[in-house]
Parts: sequence; structure tokens; C-alpha cells
Amino acid sequence: MKKQYRKLHQIRAFFVMMKYFFLAQTRNPATFAFGFLFPVVFISIFGLIGNSQPSLTIGLPSNSDLTNPIIKILEQQKFVKTQIAPESQLETSIKQGKLSGIVSVTFVSNNPPKYQANVITSLANPQEASGIMALVNAIVDRANLSAAGVTNPPITVVKKELAGRQTRYIDFALPGQIGFALLSTAIFGTVFGLIYLKKALVLKRMFATPTRAITILLAQGGSRLIMAVLQTLLILILGIVVFKFYLPHGFITFIELLFLSIIALIAFLGFGYFMAGLANDENSAGPLVNLVTLPQFLLSGTFFPIDNLPTWLQPLANILPLSFFNAAVRKITTEGGDFSQTIPFMLGLILWGAVMYLLAAKTFRWE
Amino acid sequence: MIDIIAVKNLVKKYKDFTAVDGISFSVKQGEIFGILGPNGAGKTTTLEIMETLKPLTSGQVLIDGIDVTKHPWDVKRRIGVQLQSSAFYPEVRLTELLDMFAAMYDVTIDPMNILREVELEDKAKSYVKQLSGGQQQRFSIAATLINKPKVIFLDEPTTGLDPQARIHLWEMVRKINKAGVTIVMTTHYMDEAEQLCDRLAIMDHGKILKTDSPKSFIKDLLKSGFKKEVKPEQANLEDVFLNLTGSQLREGKL
Repeated sequence: MKKQYRKLHQIRAFFVMMKYFFLAQTRNPATFAFGFLFPVVFISIFGLIGNSQPSLTIGLPSNSDLTNPIIKILEQQKFVKTQIAPESQLETSIKQGKLSGIVSVTFVSNNPPKYQANVITSLANPQEASGIMALVNAIVDRANLSAAGVTNPPITVVKKELAGRQTRYIDFALPGQIGFALLSTAIFGTVFGLIYLKKALVLKRMFATPTRAITILLAQGGSRLIMAVLQTLLILILGIVVFKFYLPHGFITFIELLFLSIIALIAFLGFGYFMAGLANDENSAGPLVNLVTLPQFLLSGTFFPIDNLPTWLQPLANILPLSFFNAAVRKITTEGGDFSQTIPFMLGLILWGAVMYLLAAKTFRWE
Repeated sequence: MIDIIAVKNLVKKYKDFTAVDGISFSVKQGEIFGILGPNGAGKTTTLEIMETLKPLTSGQVLIDGIDVTKHPWDVKRRIGVQLQSSAFYPEVRLTELLDMFAAMYDVTIDPMNILREVELEDKAKSYVKQLSGGQQQRFSIAATLINKPKVIFLDEPTTGLDPQARIHLWEMVRKINKAGVTIVMTTHYMDEAEQLCDRLAIMDHGKILKTDSPKSFIKDLLKSGFKKEVKPEQANLEDVFLNLTGSQLREGKL
């Protein structure tokens, strides 16, 4: 007498397994470290360093004429920090990259009164050098005009300031941190988790029950998905509440971010399953996992923009899965773009995910 | 008695290695059946084919009249499985594990009742990794009982246990057997096979050499004119050890 096989049973088994797989994750210190502690520490650091304003540090030789009006005007500039020291010491600082340049004014002749502004800059720092040159030229030009008695010059510059939003480093770094947490959860958790479960025969014991393998695997993925949503929530809320992370459309952007995170996690899980199939034990998994995660952490615009990379490396960096996620998130946050603009990046992620699940299906072994 | 398990010409090949080489045997309902053999004899492979965990190369295995190859899901519902390693999630508590497996078997159970049966009720909130070796094995056996199986399979259940824990586990196996559950187990311990099993299949190099009851095995050997060189002792070291340390089960305090 055979009992009719109940389809519904798989659904009950799925939810109960997912509940305990989730509980197991919350009790695992690695989840806490990679998923919560690291991103929070990184965000806190970025939130604090991100607020420093760009400035020029100008050295003033202590033996030069420090009372000259040109120097006085220079010292009053908002973004200028001055430092008075003997000239030789200032030159050493310039070579060490601690100074943007040295400015001094020397007296040339008395009748008519003539002065010379001397600017020393570093070849190693052309940006700051041109900043100083522009500043000193502007001050000198104005002084020359008033010395020549020109009060109404033929060309005037009219400046109009738009109330632009200041982009801080946290606005750049936070999306990267969400990506970092998702990739860590998906790959470290899945690879090392599954290898342990295989080796300790935990999976095999579960296969001895009438619950299908696919149900077990889906429950595993589902529990990681819930964990990943919680991580994203934590990082976003921390960013918004503590560091005033900017969401252009408020709650809608928030929901869009959660949606993007889920798509990314599903793709990243594919990498996890693929590598869990390739590696037979923890020892071979270690290098393999680093091979996949480290380049992405460094090249995918997690910590610094892909534009800062060498040009030949950029096309490669741009198609990494984490790059797609980071780019999509920045599209709707820092760049204030429309959600439809994330579609190409999402397609990229889905394509990566599809390839990984296909490979995983080939390499995956239950024992 | 009815045969609850029938294995006919079972073969399992891995590429060029034959792990199980055409074995046939049957297990009667209600008995404790042992597969005795050295490591690598093919015991675990045979067990895992019966448990539907490995596909067979050729031959047939019927459990309660059901073909394991054709209807593995019906077989899974009727059997309980204990594997060599503890085989449970390390971060899930005992009661939670039993609850999870109940859902996987689609049955309703009281986890505490099952834990009481294997004397682990005071460990309900523990994790498997916090249990001693004997407690882990008892928990594994508890987990085989969730779906009220007709047959349970035990793979080297006492390997690595101290003598007290072994004796305690044997008692537990006998108790479960008395309640009507057929037991198929592998072992490489002669004393375990002799004391616990009603019938034995002696296996080596993927073949079953002989199947009989432990008593008949010995009787037949003696009939053939076999004589042991040494004088039979009145007691052995195990008797001394158990006499000194007591047969009471003890477990490390955690």
C-alpha cells in the first residue's frame, strides 16, 4: 500500500528549512563579521574621512616679506592653508608632497615700485600647481589693475552659483559597501558553508529524507537572501541616519536599492554554487574564493572609482558583476538617475548569474 | 518471517573499480542484520544503495517490496538513516533539528518525546557539536525514528565510542528493535556483530562470503575441525576494564 506523494509537503519543508538555515546563519560568527561588522566599520571610516574639503597648502618662507598685501590676500582665501618656515625646509616638504607650492614676494626696485611674485610648485602635482598659479595670477592681476588706476576694466567676470549638491565620499562609498556585503555573504557563506555541509554528510543526511534536493538548495538560497536584505537594510539605514546618505527619491530609491540587491545576490549566489562545486575542501576553496572576490573588491569601484584605473584595465573592470551592481546603485543614488537606467547593468548581472548557474549545474556534486 | 529487504545480484562500479560485486541477501522483518567486514569491503556503499543515496550499476534492491531505483521517494519515507559522521547542522539546536527533519519527512512529532527515548532530554537546547561522541550517535539514531520507519540503517554506529557508550548504544538498538523496527547495520567489530546481530553477512572485496547467524557461523567452524591454539580465557581485558570502571554510562559534563 503506497502512500500518495504529497506535493504540498515540499512547501512546508521549504519554509521550515529556510527558518532553521537562517537561524544557523545568525549563530555563525562569520556571517556577523563579513555581513555586518566589516561594512559598518568601512562605512564609518568613509563617512568620517569623506568630509574633508580639498585645499591648497602654501608655504611662505620665513625670511620673505610676509606683510606684503599679496601675501595678506592669499592668506585670506577660503581654501588656502599657509605654513611659515625656512625656505629649505619648505622645499623639502614640497618634494615630500606635503605642500602644494611656495609663494614669496620680493622687492625689485623703488622707482617706479616694482615687485616680483615667486611661485615654486611641484612637477609631481600638476593639479595643485595650476590651482596655485591661477590664484596667484588673479591676485597679482587685480593688484596691477588697481596700481595702474583701472577701476572699471573692460572685461568683467560674473559668477553665478547653482545650489549643487556636494558629493561626498560616503555617497560614493556606501553603494560599494552594499556590494561588498552581498558578495561576501553570497560567496564566503555559500562556498565554505556548502563544503562543510558536504564533508560532514549534513547534505547527504537530508537527501535521505523525501524532501527534494532542489527544495533543500532553494531553502539555502532563500535563507541567504533574507540575510542579504537585512544587511542591505542595515547599511542603508546606518548611511541615511548617521551619515546623511542621499536618496534622490527618498523611499522609492530605498525600495529600488533593495530590489537591485536581491538581483545581485541571486547572481552572486551562482558564483558561490559554482565554486562550491569546483573546490573539494576548504584548502582549495580559499585561493579560489580570493581569486574571485579580491579583484572585484579592488576593481569594481567598491573603494575608488573605476575611472581612476589604467585605461586598458577599465573595459575589463566595467564588466565585473560587482561593477554592474555598483554602477546601477550609483545611477539611482549619486547620479540621481531614473530606475530604467539601471536596466543594462541588471541585464549584465543576470547574464553573469545565468552563466554561473549553468556552470554550477555542471560542476556541482552533492557529496 | 517475511523478507523486508531483498538484494539481488547487486553491482556497483566506479569507472574501473568494482565496489560491490554481485551480492545477494535478504533481511527478515524484525531482525538485526549485520554486515561485517574490514574497511573498504563495500559495506557503506551497499548500505547507501539501500538508502537510495547512491545509484546502483546493476541488480535489484527491494525495501518493503518497493524497488529503490524505481520508487526512491516511497523508499525514503519508510526508512531511517544514520550516517558515519554526525551529519547535522552545527548551529541548530537538537529540538530544532528534529522539528526540521519532521518537516522534511512531512510528519508531526514531539521533539522532546524522541529525545527522551534516547535519554537526551536534558540536551534539548544544545548543539550537536556540544555533545559527546556517544550522545551524538544517540541523537543520530533518534533522528532515524522521526518518520516511524520500518527499517533503520546504522553505519558503524559505535566506531570511536568508549566501551560504556558502546554497551549503552547496543541497549538502545535492542530497545528500538524490540519495538518492531528492523535494523540493518555495518560494523567491523566482532564482539558487536556477535552480541547484537541476529544474522550476519560477512563481506570482503565487494563480495559476501557467507550469511548466517553468529552462533551457526561458530558452530560450523568448529564442526570443520577448527581449533584455537590458545586456551580459552575465563575473562578478557574488556571484562577487567568494565569491572573496574563500571558499565554505567558516563558523559563529559559540558
